Amino acid sequence: MQSVTLEVIESARLYGETHILWLPLPEAFATAQPGQFVMAYCGEGYDPLLGRALSFHRTRQGASGLEFALLFDVVGRGTDWLARRERGDELRLVGPLGRGFEPRPNVQRMLLVGGGIGVAPLVGLADRLVEEGREVTLVLGARSEAGIFPASQLPPAVELIVATEDGSAGERGRVTAPFQRLLPWCDQAFACGPNAMFEALHGVVRTSQTAKPVQALLEGVMACGMGICYSCAVFPRRGGVKLVCHDGPMFDLRDLYA
Amino acid sequence: MVDLSVSIGRGAKQELRLQNPVMTASGTFSNGLEFARRFDLDALGALVSKGTTLRPRKGNPTQRTVETAAGMINSIGFQNIGVGALIREVAPTWARWGVPVLVNIMGDTVEEFGQLAERLDGVPGVAGLEVNISCPNVEVGGMEFGQDPATAARVVRLVRRCTGLPFTVKMTPSLSDMRPIAQAVQDAGADAITIMNTIPAMAIDIERRRPVIGNVFGGLSGPAIKPVAMRHVYLVSAVTDLPIFAAGGVTTATDALEFIMAGASAVQVGTATFRDPATPWTVLEGMRAWCDEHGVKSLGEIVGAARRMD
Repeated sequence: MQSVTLEVIESARLYGETHILWLPLPEAFATAQPGQFVMAYCGEGYDPLLGRALSFHRTRQGASGLEFALLFDVVGRGTDWLARRERGDELRLVGPLGRGFEPRPNVQRMLLVGGGIGVAPLVGLADRLVEEGREVTLVLGARSEAGIFPASQLPPAVELIVATEDGSAGERGRVTAPFQRLLPWCDQAFACGPNAMFEALHGVVRTSQTAKPVQALLEGVMACGMGICYSCAVFPRRGGVKLVCHDGPMFDLRDLYA
Repeated sequence: MVDLSVSIGRGAKQELRLQNPVMTASGTFSNGLEFARRFDLDALGALVSKGTTLRPRKGNPTQRTVETAAGMINSIGFQNIGVGALIREVAPTWARWGVPVLVNIMGDTVEEFGQLAERLDGVPGVAGLEVNISCPNVEVGGMEFGQDPATAARVVRLVRRCTGLPFTVKMTPSLSDMRPIAQAVQDAGADAITIMNTIPAMAIDIERRRPVIGNVFGGLSGPAIKPVAMRHVYLVSAVTDLPIFAAGGVTTATDALEFIMAGASAVQVGTATFRDPATPWTVLEGMRAWCDEHGVKSLGEIVGAARRMD
């Protein structure tokens, strides 16, 4: 975990209300894994006061070295400020934070499931898994087509399945149905999205009585992102309390809901 | 080089000398373990632990925090490992550090404060206590201990009887005038006064048409509350000889110096740490630089400087 100030390389609206920022990958973030996150500090004064927790989205080879991206929806004052950053503007970040996805070695069929902006960390994971020669199916869900990450931006080897609630793209409905169909196929599954989605996925896992590992990347309201404010509590069904930022954000789905 | 040291519990069984006046505020630095490898903790005046209760607590339901204009509201609900685990698992680490650690204690009843103080007395690694009287007293229907001078004094007298450790009492801003409480806790044997806890507050989510915070109410902190804390420090320092630890929006060295000139002997950096964990160190360096530039040889020269016109 280190604090870095970086100059924005590229800032653009990628689709719908979703924005992408490209930044030079600093040495401090070289070891970052898909599913880990940064705190991004918005604004010049004390308002907004707190950082915004954003997943590492993906990396690419740029003109002058490796670059990484943050992908986010514009939902409030902080993300609005972030979306107005332009090339050359400075941004302070702390990272890498938390525990990211942990793909098993020596397994081949990987199922990735994203709801809404939950796609952000899954794209970097897909990039990595394809590079390692594994088979990747990515299921994306959103209210409508405007909320779906563009297929053209994914590695060609990724099989993309889309579900929208209004049926404007892909199949009508939620990600639960394709997840149910593909669970028997996969060796390991990874999911990121709202809590209601995780609950639905766990319902599928329970009824299918499978032992397949499903890793869930949780969202939490954080003030610090570093395990000190105790804001992002999550209460596993079996009891106890965990912190999304410190114990996660990656949890085994069963450890939360079983 | 300026002498920034501060003493508390002067003349008491155990005196605590802080090498400088910059502390961390309770609940904003956990128990320090997370930052021990990244920062030079020993450079600070003191650390204050997370609020500690007799038994472990899971804390409040989420949502527990919300950002507000230049501040935030929190309602964590004292999620902590309990005093037993703190003594077994955390204090031995503190004992190896140079920086003194004060344990922030919180009871549901007057009696529990005494039990906490007793358990922590003589534990290696525990240099002192911070007694949080800004919490509800279960015995009397939830009114804060710190809102009534007689109740506050009962808590402080009991803690004094149960420990030889120096301790500070953390005041509630629920009252417009803290002075009667401050006088009561001084007379009852406190060694210092921490001004202040968070301000009771709430926020509404208009889409859900509900309070944002799961527990409905929380405490406001951050730069937004600094002027409120400043007034309390200014007023209380006129009626007490005890050192005052100012907490309330300290984010820069200027903020800290303002509190010192209002009458505080030390400051606690709280919410600012969430935005940048290096803040306590930047505040300390800035204070040192300002004192050197202005020929201040000892912090005592400027404590209460703004009050000398009275």
